Amino acid sequence: MGIRSVAVHSTADADALHVRFADEKVCIGPPQARASYLSIPALISAAEVTRADAVHPGYGFLSENAHFAEVVKKCGFQWIGPQPEIMRLMGDKVSARATMEKFGVPTLPGTGVIETDRDAEEAIERIGLPVIIKASAGGGGRGMKVVENKSRLSAQLNAARSEAKAGFDNPNVYLERFIARPRHVEVQVLGDGTRAISLGERECSIQRRHQKLVEEAPSVALDDERRAKLLGVARKATERLGYQTVGTLEFLLDEDKQFYFMEMNTRIQVEHTVTEEVFSVDLVREQMKLAAGEPLKLPADIRPRGHAIELRINAEDPVTFAPSPGRITALNLPGGLGVRVDTHIYNQYLVPPFYDSLLAKLIVRAETRPAALARLRRALAEFVVEGCKTNLDFFRRLLANAEFVAGKMDTHLVERM
Amino acid sequence: MPKKDSKDKAPPRALEVVGAPPAGRARAGQPEGSSGIDFESVRVLARIAAEFDLEEIELNGAGHLRVRRGLRDGGVTPLLAPAPARPIGLTPPVDSADETDGAFVTSPFVGTFYRAASPETPPFVDNGQAVRKGQVVCIVEAMKLMNEIEAEADGRVEEILVKNGEHVEYGQRLIRLSKS
Repeated sequence: MGIRSVAVHSTADADALHVRFADEKVCIGPPQARASYLSIPALISAAEVTRADAVHPGYGFLSENAHFAEVVKKCGFQWIGPQPEIMRLMGDKVSARATMEKFGVPTLPGTGVIETDRDAEEAIERIGLPVIIKASAGGGGRGMKVVENKSRLSAQLNAARSEAKAGFDNPNVYLERFIARPRHVEVQVLGDGTRAISLGERECSIQRRHQKLVEEAPSVALDDERRAKLLGVARKATERLGYQTVGTLEFLLDEDKQFYFMEMNTRIQVEHTVTEEVFSVDLVREQMKLAAGEPLKLPADIRPRGHAIELRINAEDPVTFAPSPGRITALNLPGGLGVRVDTHIYNQYLVPPFYDSLLAKLIVRAETRPAALARLRRALAEFVVEGCKTNLDFFRRLLANAEFVAGKMDTHLVERM
Repeated sequence: MPKKDSKDKAPPRALEVVGAPPAGRARAGQPEGSSGIDFESVRVLARIAAEFDLEEIELNGAGHLRVRRGLRDGGVTPLLAPAPARPIGLTPPVDSADETDGAFVTSPFVGTFYRAASPETPPFVDNGQAVRKGQVVCIVEAMKLMNEIEAEADGRVEEILVKNGEHVEYGQRLIRLSKS
C-alpha cells in the first residue's frame, strides 16, 4: 500500500520478526505489558517521535480500549478501528446485548446488570436453569460461571463479582440462558459508516478454556437458508450502528441450530485469515482503507469459494497445555498450493515467556472441507518446530477425531478428547 | 539513537570488505590497469574484522568507515568519520548486556532528549563533571511533559551519548558515568 511502518516493541520483543522487517522501530518499555504494550503514554510518545500518521492496535492489548482510541484521535493520529463510541457500546456486554436486542437481533434470554440476589432469582424463574453468570466488562470467555441449581446462586454471584472486579476493574455481572453444547459461529462485517456488508461466517467451535484453537470458513453447521438469515441479521445490525472499518459479531448456535448474539469484537481478529482465503479479500488492507475514510467498495453478494481451516500453533505442552517458552532450534514450515503460514517465529528465535503462546497460524484452503482436512494433515506432517513444545501433536490427534472430521462439533469437543 | 541503515533481511553474510582507502600504494604483482585496490589495507581490515567478529566493513573514498557486527547482536554502529590511518574505534552495540566499564543513565520512556531545562538555560551536566546520586542530569520529554532524569549513583560524567533534541526509546543509554 506504500505505507511505511513503525513497530513498537518491549525489550523482550526486540528480536521479533516484525520489528526487524518494519521500516522503523521504537522500544517502548520493559517486558511487563502494563509498562509497555498497555502504556498509553509510551505508545503515544512513540507515535509522536516517529511522526506517525495512524496507529494500528492489532488484536489484544488496547485494540478494544475506547479510551485509547480517543487519546489517539485527540493527539492528532488516525485510529485504525471503529468509532470510540461504538467500541464503548460494544465493549460493555450488557449494553451490547441491549443494543442488538433493539435492532431485532436474536439474543439469549438474559438480564441487565444484576443488582441483588433477588433480581437473579427472578431472572432464573423467567429464563430457567441452567444460566451462566458473565461479567459486563468481560469477554473472550473469561470470568464466567455456570449456575446449575439455585442453592449455589448467591455464592457464585459473589465469586463472579470479585473476579470481575479483579479482572476487568468492574464488578457488574449479568445472566444469560446457558447452552450446554453450543457451536460458535461468527460473522465478519465491514462498514464505512453508512453501508455495511457481511463477508461470510466462521466456525470457531474447537476451543479450550474459551480460547479458540481451530477456525473454519464457511461453517458446515449452516444450510444456505440459515446462513442467509444470519449474514443478513449481522449486516443490518452493523449498518444500523453506523460502524466503520472491520468487526465481528459472535453468535452461539444451540442444538436446534438457532443462533443468538453473544458479543461484538470491534477489531480485526486472529482468524480473519480463513475469511481472506475463501473470499480472496485482504481484510487488513480493507480495514486500513476504511479507516482512511474510503467508501466500502466491496459488493454485498460476494460468494466464498472452497473451504479454509486455520490452526493456532501454540508454544505449549500438547497434553497439559502448559506454556513452553524457549529458543527455536529447528523450524520447517509447510508450503504448496493452498497452504499459508502467518508467523513471527524463525530459527533461533527466543520465544519470550511474557506473552501469548501463539507461535504461528497454519491456514489451508481447498475446494471442499474433506480436501482441506487432507491438505491440513499433510501440512501438519511437514510442520517442524524444535526447541519448545507445541500443540502440533494435539492437532494431529484432532484430525483423527471422528466428530471433528464429520463436522459435528461443539465447544466441548476438546474436553471429550 | 544510532542510525540504522537498511533493514537486514538476509542471514549474516560471510565477511565482506567493500571499497578501498584513498591512499595509493605500490604493490608487488599487481597487474596493469587493475582497480587500484590496496590489498595491504584490505588484509588489515580483514584481520580487524575477524578479531572483532564483524560481518561487514565498508570504507569509501571520502574516508568514511562503517562497520557492522551482525544480525543477532542487533548492534549497528554509527557512521564514523576518521581518516583511515587512525585505529578503528568501535562503539559496542547499544544492547550488549555485560558492560562493566561505567554506569549508564538510561531513558525510562520514549521521548526527546534534552541536555538543559530550556534553550536559554545551561546544560545540567558537562563531560568530566561529578554528579551525586539523585542529581538531575538531563531531561526526556514525553508527550509535552519534561521529565527530569536523575543519576542513580554518585559518579563522573564520561560521555553524553545522545545529541540534544534527539529522539530516544525506552532503555536507551543517554549518559555514561564512571563510578567515582
